Amino acid sequence: MLTFAIFLPIVAAAVFALLPRRLRSQVEVGPPQEDPWASRLRLIASVIGVVPLVVLLGAWARFDGDGGFELVESSEWIPTLGVGYRVGVDGLSLPLALMTAVLFAVAIAYPVDLRGRPGPYYALMLFLEGVSVGLFLSLDLFLFFVFWDVSLVGMYFLIGVWGHGDARRSALKFFVYTFAGSLALLLAILGLYLATEPRTFDMAEIIRQQPLPAGGVYATLVFLGFLIGFGVKTPIVPFHTWLPPAHVDAPGPASAVLAGVLLKMGTYGFVRILMSMQPETFARFAFPIGVLAVVSIVYGSLVAMAQTNLKRLIAYTSVNHMGYVMLGLAAAGASIAGQDDAQALALTGATLEMVAHGLITGALFLVSGSILARGETYEMEAYGGLAARAPALTGITVVAAFASLGLPGLAGFVAEFQVFAGTLAVYPWLAGVGLLGIVITAALFLRMLQQVFLGPLPERWTGWPDLGWIERLTLGALIALIIAIGVAPALLLDMIDSFAGPFVGR
Amino acid sequence: MTAVLLVLLPALGSASVLGLRRRARAVGAAAVGSAVATLAVALVAAWAEPELAWRWSDTLELGVAVDGFARVMVVLIPVVAAPVLAYAAATVDEGRTRLLALLLGFVAAMELLVVASDLLTLLIAWELIGAFSWALIGYGWRERANSAAAAQAFITTRIGDLGLYVAAGMTFAATGGLGYDDLAAVDGGRQDVLAAALLLAVAAKSAQLPFSPWLFSAMAGPTPVSALLHSATLVSAGAYLLIRVAPALEPTGWFLPAVAGVGMVTALAGGVTAVLQSQAKRVLAASTSAQYGLMFVAVGAGSTAAAGAQLVTHAVFKSLLFLGAGVAIHAAGSGDLGDMRLGRVVPRVAGFSLVGAAALAAIPPLGAASSKQAIGAAAAHSSTWLLLGVLVAGALSVTYAFRYQLLAFGRGPTDDDRIRDRVDAQPTTSERWSLGVLAAITIALSALWFPGSGEVLERVTDGELYEAPLWEFGVTLGLTAAVTAGVLWAWRTGRLNTSAPQGAVAVAADWYGLARLSRVTVVDPTLALSRGLARIDDRVVDAGVRGVERLTRTLSRLAWGRAEWSLDALVRGLAGAVGLGARGTRVADERSVDGAVRALAALTVKGAGASRTADDRVVDGAVEGSAWLVGVGGHASRKLQTGQAHHYYAIVAVGFVVAAAVLLAMSS
Repeated sequence: MLTFAIFLPIVAAAVFALLPRRLRSQVEVGPPQEDPWASRLRLIASVIGVVPLVVLLGAWARFDGDGGFELVESSEWIPTLGVGYRVGVDGLSLPLALMTAVLFAVAIAYPVDLRGRPGPYYALMLFLEGVSVGLFLSLDLFLFFVFWDVSLVGMYFLIGVWGHGDARRSALKFFVYTFAGSLALLLAILGLYLATEPRTFDMAEIIRQQPLPAGGVYATLVFLGFLIGFGVKTPIVPFHTWLPPAHVDAPGPASAVLAGVLLKMGTYGFVRILMSMQPETFARFAFPIGVLAVVSIVYGSLVAMAQTNLKRLIAYTSVNHMGYVMLGLAAAGASIAGQDDAQALALTGATLEMVAHGLITGALFLVSGSILARGETYEMEAYGGLAARAPALTGITVVAAFASLGLPGLAGFVAEFQVFAGTLAVYPWLAGVGLLGIVITAALFLRMLQQVFLGPLPERWTGWPDLGWIERLTLGALIALIIAIGVAPALLLDMIDSFAGPFVGR
Repeated sequence: MTAVLLVLLPALGSASVLGLRRRARAVGAAAVGSAVATLAVALVAAWAEPELAWRWSDTLELGVAVDGFARVMVVLIPVVAAPVLAYAAATVDEGRTRLLALLLGFVAAMELLVVASDLLTLLIAWELIGAFSWALIGYGWRERANSAAAAQAFITTRIGDLGLYVAAGMTFAATGGLGYDDLAAVDGGRQDVLAAALLLAVAAKSAQLPFSPWLFSAMAGPTPVSALLHSATLVSAGAYLLIRVAPALEPTGWFLPAVAGVGMVTALAGGVTAVLQSQAKRVLAASTSAQYGLMFVAVGAGSTAAAGAQLVTHAVFKSLLFLGAGVAIHAAGSGDLGDMRLGRVVPRVAGFSLVGAAALAAIPPLGAASSKQAIGAAAAHSSTWLLLGVLVAGALSVTYAFRYQLLAFGRGPTDDDRIRDRVDAQPTTSERWSLGVLAAITIALSALWFPGSGEVLERVTDGELYEAPLWEFGVTLGLTAAVTAGVLWAWRTGRLNTSAPQGAVAVAADWYGLARLSRVTVVDPTLALSRGLARIDDRVVDAGVRGVERLTRTLSRLAWGRAEWSLDALVRGLAGAVGLGARGTRVADERSVDGAVRALAALTVKGAGASRTADDRVVDGAVEGSAWLVGVGGHASRKLQTGQAHHYYAIVAVGFVVAAAVLLAMSS
């Protein structure tokens, strides 16, 4: 069942890749939206893109949440090396996989400038969907790494081909930088693998074995490898400089996927691999990691506030939000007695933040894609007063922005409250400084709303069109989810708690 | 169920207003109707005291209970909201639907705030009313100044919200719960942090010093917004929370004195600001801070009951005064007190406003005088200095109340053109009704003087009222009478200052330059820091990455041929290594396979031969194939030599992965 969710989009991607550029050649000019071939492809891709979501919802229905991995599917792959094809879910991976499927379903359906190449575009998006879902579901380090690396390749082409501005360069920088991270990750995985006895890449088995107790150069080196590998991808300051150019030059839906899904691979890796397989070493370094997290929070939000480019601004708030996640993880992984409840709270909050950030920032990046399509620039100075012409666009952006700055009733708050409430019990000073991020993000999002949507409407935007129905539908779905999680998160929190509770030994 | 309806009714009202947006009359009726329905439910709830919980997870639960002082607040909110909504529906044309919907949404959030029974629920409502406040202050969003004022108000109060985050975290760390009941169980250092955090939260929300200036920015909103949010309800959240939690924090020795100190300073400073201010709405805003300061003093002096009484009376008379100010601003065409003197133009509104002003000045027998008296009694019970401060603050409030009333609604010249010409200056019937209802409630609150009302008050606030010595009562009355006479004399002799303040006076009238100070010391440095960091981020943090790239590019340019040669060598070397490895493996493989084959040979030699051939082909083929691939890749990579560092880097990386994979394969 899970395998189907992973490989259906990948197989479909292969088919899409082989399709000719256009079936009917008479449509040579005109905006890509009017190209019937492209819109037909989009429809087909959208339908396929929803399938993994349906499958995963089915998995959720069958999910017990009694700890441990469920719905496991496995088969031999390279038995001599202990490599297997193993997939399954638990309270950590299922929410992330669900979020991934939602975001891809929305991103694939979202209108975008296809540059006359619908086939490869939808092929890449579907391919990435399968790969990303696969990454969160894989229970084998080798499989995990394969998915990890090919996701880079897919994103590289999405940015390079369908991006704008200095897209090639940004794509390369993204690729090379994160690829360096994955080299570190590979070394760390091998290091961990060589310590297992019997040798295996099976995650569940490695977690059971705990092959590398804390202390010693070897364990620390492996830890550092993971730290750099996941830290680049997350990204933690100072490994974040690949992020802004990649986002600015990527097409809207690719940005949404990059921020919403690919960044989560880093934080997911922290929990799934580093904190699960080297918990003692992580506990030793929990405080410095917490410091880095707070730096990411404050630094990311301050740098975001100075941005004049809408997409760069949102990109830097991702650095800030990933800081919240890392802060929660540091608190959850710290070795401190008697605060199990608080640590579980921090871990649940961090996990929910991954989901919430995916949905919220996904929505924000899609919105900025729509703004670019209409206004042809991300420079916020060029805009103003759009609320007069585009109430739907304004309303959706306001809700998404307020969700991102952590307003209660929306998804971000549920996560951030838990992160801070939990961390205040473990590292009160770090949490206290990190709280500043909440004020700064509020300031920067209000400035953004003011600049783009409020104030007088410039003469040139008097003909500004509001969102089309596809945009309304897809963004509306995201907003509905954001509100639903903000008001009634019980279902989701229970699922995450089934992982977080046992994890901190509660 | 009633507890849910309290929040749900105004929320549904908000939705129905949005749904009815094409029918102007229905919109107003729906808005007022849902406020009245909320009032009815609130009365039931105050009597039935329902409780409810909404589960988030095993750890977190949102608790709602109509108990303690919440029983008063749930009723007070719709009582003020209904006339204000009617006023808003009658006076605002452009964007009426949005205004009414937002106001109703705010009412829902405010109801949630007062029925919250734990810090998480409180924080949710606390931030929601802040967000509604943002949307309502920035109601006239086409003007940039309004949005900027809204942002200032939101961000200032959000700094206070951090206090609630910290308070929640401390309580959870100490007790594992978040309920108000758990607050008392927090001890040690956490207790101090908790108290400080809560003080920060309530001071920011109730516009106490040093946060007071945000309330001036809030005046950028339309009049109904000022009347409902920024005098009666939203700002009352701070005082309300204090009334709820102060008893639990009493063990923190410094907490109550600190509360009293903050309140006292704000009451005095705000009083002076209100006396000197020349903008009608700002006079009222400064007086709002000052009056909430007095409530803080009451709590600090140990009488939450006195604070509660003052909260209720203030909510009613201040929204009355604001609505009157709205009429005055509309009639005068300006918010400047110097342009008004509308006593002859809008006589009935002037009368209503006089009721409000008298209440603000604490003239008996109005209820506001009783609550002010209770605060004085509590202060007297606590310390003489506090009593002295309350008396001075009282004298100040008499001054600004009557100064405002006389300047705004004093009788102007009989030949005022506005009496005849500006028919549109006249308020509509529903405006007059709104003012009349609030004035009537202000008068009705005189019931606070009745014997027995004190016990009711003590019961609903779980607090205590102090007996005032008779001489204190006499002193207060005498002071009030003397100051009133002084203001009247100044008015008669034309000495009431109406010109816009200048110099040092202007600074005091604008909250002593606090807004400017915070801009210079906090906002501007933060913005500068943010710009500086952004530059550093672009130039320095990323410089390492770019530096590596540039260095490699330069090196490759310097030694182009060498680079080509060395890369080739590297690739060839890699290929050779892999080939060598392959041969090595083959030898090893042959041996083991041979072993197997020899065992099998006992059964059939022919089959063994065949299997060896197969094995050779497969294993060998795979390994040598990869070596060949690397070789091909080497040739291909030569074409890729663009001199760009990342290309080299990528190629080396790929080679590295392949080599690692192969080495791994051999090690098994």
